[in-house]
Amino acid sequence: MQNMESSEEPLLNFVFAFGKAHMSNKSQRPDQDPEIVVLYCQHGLRDEAKGSAWYQESAGLSVRAEMMPCSSKIEVSHILKLLESGADAVEVVACPEKSCKYLVGSLRAERRIEYIRGLLEKIGYAPQRVGISHKLSQSPEQLIDLARARADAVRPFGVNPMKKGE
Amino acid sequence: MKMFVGSNLERRLAAGHFAVTAEVGPPRGPDPADVKKKASILRGVADAYNVTDNQTAVVRMSSVAASKILLQEGLEPVMQIVCRDRNRIAIQSDLLGAWALGMRNVLCLSGDHQSAGAGGKLKGHPGAKNVYDIDSIQLISVVKGLRDGAIQEGGDSISPAAPFFIGAAWTPLSPPEKFRIIRLAKKINAGANFIQTQAVYDIKRFAEAVRRAEDMGLTDRAAILPGIIVPRSAGMLKYMNANVPGIEVPEDLIRRMKDAADPKIEGIEVTLELIDAVKNLSGIKGVHLQAIEAEELLPDIIRSAGLLPRPRIY
Amino acid sequence: MIFAEWKPLDELIDKLKTHKKVLLVGCATCVAECAAGGEKEVETLAPLLRMALKKRDHSVEIVTATLEKQCEWEFIEQLAHQVTEVDAIMSIACGIGVQALAERFDPITVYPGVNTSALTIREEAGLWATRCAACGDCILGETFGYCPVARCAKSLLNGPCGGTRKDGKCEVNGDVDCIWNLIVERADERGQLESLSEFKKAKDWSNSRHGGPKRVIREDLRQ
Repeated sequence: MQNMESSEEPLLNFVFAFGKAHMSNKSQRPDQDPEIVVLYCQHGLRDEAKGSAWYQESAGLSVRAEMMPCSSKIEVSHILKLLESGADAVEVVACPEKSCKYLVGSLRAERRIEYIRGLLEKIGYAPQRVGISHKLSQSPEQLIDLARARADAVRPFGVNPMKKGE
Repeated sequence: MKMFVGSNLERRLAAGHFAVTAEVGPPRGPDPADVKKKASILRGVADAYNVTDNQTAVVRMSSVAASKILLQEGLEPVMQIVCRDRNRIAIQSDLLGAWALGMRNVLCLSGDHQSAGAGGKLKGHPGAKNVYDIDSIQLISVVKGLRDGAIQEGGDSISPAAPFFIGAAWTPLSPPEKFRIIRLAKKINAGANFIQTQAVYDIKRFAEAVRRAEDMGLTDRAAILPGIIVPRSAGMLKYMNANVPGIEVPEDLIRRMKDAADPKIEGIEVTLELIDAVKNLSGIKGVHLQAIEAEELLPDIIRSAGLLPRPRIY
Repeated sequence: MIFAEWKPLDELIDKLKTHKKVLLVGCATCVAECAAGGEKEVETLAPLLRMALKKRDHSVEIVTATLEKQCEWEFIEQLAHQVTEVDAIMSIACGIGVQALAERFDPITVYPGVNTSALTIREEAGLWATRCAACGDCILGETFGYCPVARCAKSLLNGPCGGTRKDGKCEVNGDVDCIWNLIVERADERGQLESLSEFKKAKDWSNSRHGGPKRVIREDLRQ
């Protein structure tokens, strides 16, 4: 029998960590700052950066970034769980189609993002809460900028309904 | 030639005359007056009149009821039966009832799938369960059993036998073309006595198909009546060419209708030319005319084609 | 495989909203193969449902499990403890699995989360197509490996109706090949077109659902 608790995904620990960090940081940040998770392909970030998971606050938003071996490894369930645990939006940074080292990886990611958008719409959440950019070799600041653009896209829809009542 | 049931249509064909059948669509309502109106328009212009059976899966007055009304009005029906809505039990039961009410000609069809009834302005019943217990060829065989063996499909007998003049459809030009002649043979082997075809516009290709049927001896065993639908516009022809499998309309015919000063009049001219062309094809024993929701055009067309009055059968 | 798809999410929310704690159960066999009810889909549907319920101000806890097969009692038994802690189950296995859970864990309500609709093959990634109609009277030996019962909209047995389009597709559904066109082509390729001129009589449907629900006993396997 398989169930969630025994999963081996390291990212799940990341999700829990994110949740915890969110709770502890709550008193230090204004409530309306959007929390964006960036999932980036390892080829999306230049070598000198940051390790596989990092957190950064910037003017008006907080960003939790996590590196993937390839954007095609991103599962629909993973992104939904990030949103379920309170992320206001998730931005996937995939490689441009022609540069994908796994050939069709970023195309697959694109399809999954579209699928998630459809699901969000069906349950009354803004489809803008998930997005994808195709970029190669970004600096950390550039990734933050992508997160900011996603935060701007999602701001009109307010805070993630999952955070209400906390 | 042995007479199966002696219907007007059968006797007309047996006499070697060029037969004329016309189509009458029952109303989307229960009023017999609608059927009587069409009957009064078409009285005397054809040897038998096809009454469709919930054509395109659109609910209309049943073909057995509408056929009975036609009969009462002095017109001989060809009762169409489709396999979509009724299983072999209901079909055989309806056949016995139809015979009791005076029906003598039937046309055996598979029937359009129920999804066809939902289209354009109509909601239809796309969610209905379909039946298709038997196919059209098995249906022909069932009717033959009731006629020649006084026997039901399952083996029980009926008493007395219920003789019908059995018809079937032929679509010589839809793919796979190589099989269409085999399918025609199967229908005739199963017991079909007359064949009405899908609408013909490409005489050359139709003639080729008929020649093949002749070579196989099929045109002697069953009377083939090509279907002709009166064209009303180039748009209508284009639509049918693109969307109705088995209807092939030559480019120059579409162009002709498009360039016509009055397409409605041109359409009648085209119809007359088609009737004349098929009349001259070896192996063709008559024609099946359809003027969709425009039955009033048929009497003049049939007259202009030199087919009126219908000759006496002695 | 047995093919199923999620019911509309609104329908699922509607059923779950009256409960306090629900067990969402998947199955790792057929429904996993058609991407509707496997572990991946359980892990996708659970957060989705939680988010949808939260938005509508329903507080429903959803816990999850995925069984190897939901049609085997030994696997179903593994849920016994979890079931005592919930007040409803939603199964995204096929109708067989839903009923197995309903039978074993009566009186708890078991909701279906999917609509089971066909017997299919995965033709390629993301594409499933009907193959079998479970008619109980298999004629594949005479139709060159193509089933007209399942793959012809009218289940014709004596060749195609007049509705084969020019591109070889079916007039009922333009996405679907006319299966009789395929049968004829293959017969012709093998020089056996003549075999299709044989009259196929009316089918005996009684060995399928049409004959009534089945209850089959194999004496050699009884205990």
